Amino acid sequence: MPQSLLMRWFCRLYLVMLYAYPREFRLQFGGEMQQLFRDRCRQVTRTPSLWNWLRFATQSAADWMSTLFQERMAAVREITVQECASKTFQIVRTVWSAGRSTQPRGFVAEWAMTLIIFLFATTTLVQAYVVPTGSMESTVMIGDHMLVDRMTYSDPGSWGSRLLPYRDVERGDIVCFHYPEDVRQIYVKRVIGIPGDRIHMENKQVVRNGQRLIERYTQHIDPTVEPYRDDFPQAPAWNTTPRGREMFWNDVRGGELVVPPGKLFVMGDNRENSADSRYWGLVPRDYVVGKPVFVYWSYDAPTADFESWSVDHLIDVATHFFTKTRWNRMLLVPRAQPAEVAP
Amino acid sequence: MSKPSIPEDLLPLTPPVFHILVALCDEERHGYGIMQDVARQTGDALQLGPGTLYGCLKRMLAAGMVEESDVRPDPAIDDERRRYYRMTPLGRRVVRAEAQRLANAVTAARTRRLFDRPKAGVTGGV
Repeated sequence: MPQSLLMRWFCRLYLVMLYAYPREFRLQFGGEMQQLFRDRCRQVTRTPSLWNWLRFATQSAADWMSTLFQERMAAVREITVQECASKTFQIVRTVWSAGRSTQPRGFVAEWAMTLIIFLFATTTLVQAYVVPTGSMESTVMIGDHMLVDRMTYSDPGSWGSRLLPYRDVERGDIVCFHYPEDVRQIYVKRVIGIPGDRIHMENKQVVRNGQRLIERYTQHIDPTVEPYRDDFPQAPAWNTTPRGREMFWNDVRGGELVVPPGKLFVMGDNRENSADSRYWGLVPRDYVVGKPVFVYWSYDAPTADFESWSVDHLIDVATHFFTKTRWNRMLLVPRAQPAEVAP
Repeated sequence: MSKPSIPEDLLPLTPPVFHILVALCDEERHGYGIMQDVARQTGDALQLGPGTLYGCLKRMLAAGMVEESDVRPDPAIDDERRRYYRMTPLGRRVVRAEAQRLANAVTAARTRRLFDRPKAGVTGGV
């Protein structure tokens, strides 16, 4: 049992590590590489010993690091921005060697550098984020601490899009965004409609552009049917906010919501227990912060503990860290999943 | 990308590429099969990691030395997530040329008495 847990961990860790490879390479071979890694894990499990695991781990890490560099370089060469890259490289090398030639960097400089990189990374590249509500439950749980990739969905301008891994939001993506009713809060939901989509629901089933969707990622906890929630968009319910009502009056035509340009229609996977676009309207595209990359820590505690900072919560974590941490959710990658179309 | 059709243009091969081609000589294999065979060939000295293996395969596919096979083996043991790879005629010419090159190198080393005791099997070339 601990062996298989270890193996699951290794495989998950590897899945996360795969994201470091260039996108093209990952799309072409990622699945197979994962499969190969799993097979290797199984092979090691057959003759388990600390030595074998260590050897395997070192081999894999070395393999990852060397090929990562190789593939990244290859990818840069392929985008034909070679000149641009070599220019940048020259500048970096000049700056680097200038710093080196005068004197070795001291303790303070070393830490200042680390701090700068850390600040840069946490403000522009990734951001840590904790999920306080169960609206995405079955995919994302209360207490999941996630790293959010801020680059993918942020439009970097015409030249930057060639260098950065930018792509537009697609249907089925899980996104983090500023809650339109209160922009200080960040919500995580799944994108159901992108601009131009026509959407309505029939008995809990989403119909998009006339096609019935089969969404395997959803969870239904309440068998009863509520008109607005499950047959959206009927007349607004009591808990539809003014923004939601505005959407209802402006964008619903012929019993269907038509998503206007620059907006997204999002819903939680926990359909009966999710305050989402049905209730508070559409999300402006600019409000999207990023996409969750992976869960780095998951802690089992009620919503209130994650919404505001409290001493009780700290004590709770300190005393129950090992028992209430959901170890099996660690390094989990919340996946974007396109819905299937019912025949 | 220009595909060199003369095998000599692709020599010398890196050890992983050479061993992958040798592994694909007799039969089509999937990634894990290649990895196991390479380990067998080298007496566990060369364990190909996923990155090395698929990095090599990517370049070999681009150079036309291997191709993806659409023939599935026994459906009972088949796993649809796996892709099988097959050597192309160019790949065969390349690995023959490389083996010949290595054999020549071994012969040269032998004439200078670098081996303790000569073995009959090694000089055979391909």
